[in-house]
Amino acid sequence: MPIFNRHTKKIILKIDEFFDIVDEGLLIFKEGVKNYLGKNMDLFEEQISRIDRLEARADKLQKSIENDMIIHTILPQHRGEVVTLLEGIDDIIDTCKEILKQFDVEIPDIPESLHPDFISLTEVVTNAGEELIPAARAFFKQPHTVRDQLNKVYFYEREGDNLSNKIKKNIFHELNDLSLAEKSHLRYFAHHIERLSDKAESVADILTSLSIRMVM
Amino acid sequence: MMLFFLSSGLFLGWSLGANDAANIFGSAVGSRMVSFRKAAIIASIFVILGAVFQGQGASHTLGKLGAVNAIGGSFTVALAAALTVYGMTRAAIPVSTTQAIVGAIIGWNLFTGNQTDSSSLTKIVSTWIFGPLLGASFAIILYFILRKIKRSARVHMIRYESWIKTGLIIVGAFGAYSLGANNIANVMGVFVPSVNLPEVNLGIFSLNSGQQLFLLGGIAIAAGIISYSEKVMKTVGNNLMELNSDTALIIVLSHSLVLFIFSSTALSNLFVRIGLPPIPLVPVSSSQVIVGSILGIGIIKGARNIKLKTLRDIFAGWVITPLIACLISFISLFFVQNVFDIEVVSRVDKEITSHNNQQNQIVINGQGD
Repeated sequence: MPIFNRHTKKIILKIDEFFDIVDEGLLIFKEGVKNYLGKNMDLFEEQISRIDRLEARADKLQKSIENDMIIHTILPQHRGEVVTLLEGIDDIIDTCKEILKQFDVEIPDIPESLHPDFISLTEVVTNAGEELIPAARAFFKQPHTVRDQLNKVYFYEREGDNLSNKIKKNIFHELNDLSLAEKSHLRYFAHHIERLSDKAESVADILTSLSIRMVM
Repeated sequence: MMLFFLSSGLFLGWSLGANDAANIFGSAVGSRMVSFRKAAIIASIFVILGAVFQGQGASHTLGKLGAVNAIGGSFTVALAAALTVYGMTRAAIPVSTTQAIVGAIIGWNLFTGNQTDSSSLTKIVSTWIFGPLLGASFAIILYFILRKIKRSARVHMIRYESWIKTGLIIVGAFGAYSLGANNIANVMGVFVPSVNLPEVNLGIFSLNSGQQLFLLGGIAIAAGIISYSEKVMKTVGNNLMELNSDTALIIVLSHSLVLFIFSSTALSNLFVRIGLPPIPLVPVSSSQVIVGSILGIGIIKGARNIKLKTLRDIFAGWVITPLIACLISFISLFFVQNVFDIEVVSRVDKEITSHNNQQNQIVINGQGD
């Protein structure tokens, strides 16, 4: 009888763990950027290796959830949508890892005057991701509450866009000592951090349409 | 020879199983929530149980509409209904076995000059309207109950889905039982007055002549489910409206409740005991009740998803089916009687029946005076 199916419990635990990992990944990302700007390179290196491990675990879990859903015919009618959702959320931790790696490889020289704005931008885009996770959890338990929870994601995404624009303007209008190459490099990092909230917004869109379809 | 005469009823049973099992397990199998193998086994077992243990109520009403008293007549009537169902299914027109058999019995009445019992006919035809209406009402009520439970329980979607899966199996079993109980009258009801089999004692329980016929009919329905319903379940699926697992469960449950209500002697007796009018025990069209239930859900959801063309075809089928069955029955009876020289009506029985009717009339008139 499906009601006594132990796979059900297993897969629920895996989904919960997957969300926990992405949540943790976002925190590490935030701390990683702060440590980079604060020149705490040991901690920054440690956070890169931690996010590496978390991202690998998230990938593994995501594949395992997808396989379990197919093998044990779980949610056959909504499997495609749930898989798309999990892929979107996995993209978020992938993006976190990618950005930290870019800091590690390209070692951008960010002027101190821009540090508060970069920290704010990092916090805002991380908030967008952090608000997304409870909404994604809610999708599995109370799909009718998802849309309300997603308002904050959209808010932080807009804030991220504004902050990113502000940073870009500062770079090109006020930091006249920098060369065009340096300016482009800095703009590129503002743009990449901003991408995290764009990813969160894409997943929010998926969640919105999914929750409408799931609500009785 | 007896088996030959029963073959038309068995064929009708086979087509009923092939078509109507999709009403019970179509959504579950079509959406791969339940495997066809599991669905077929459960449906087959429960349809036989329902037919044998609760099939007599609805069969009795059908017998009153026209007591086909010669096996040749029963054979022809069932054959006419089966041919109608088969032909309309081939033409992809939604068809009801109940309407086909009622039309065929009326054809027999017209051919033999037997008067159609208007009260039984009214009772049956009224359920063609009330069945879907009741199905829609149950679906609406169950929808709100399930939505309330779902919202307040805060169950994980995957766990909820596994409950629904279990629910679909349990409700499907109940649906198959109700289908057997209610629709066996369509398959074997016309043979009951003309076939008399000795009682079989199986130790724990015994089977009378009617129950043995119903067992045979139940097996024929099960054969239809196993051999042909997979195709119907997977292709027909949710023709009228897109259904998710929640609504599929609601629809199958409301359908099963309606069929159960119209076939349960115990429930009807309970109604009488508490001072309510008895429930008419009538074979109800499983497909019509499903349509009614789906429409109930469609109304709640704003009727945007309902495919009106399919609905129109269904209504057209409701009118055409009894007419075609009646016509085929009438013509076939003519051939069977005059070309094959097979008795389609027992004159002795008929005379006794008409004599009894006259006597009853005198008694009733006498009481009236």
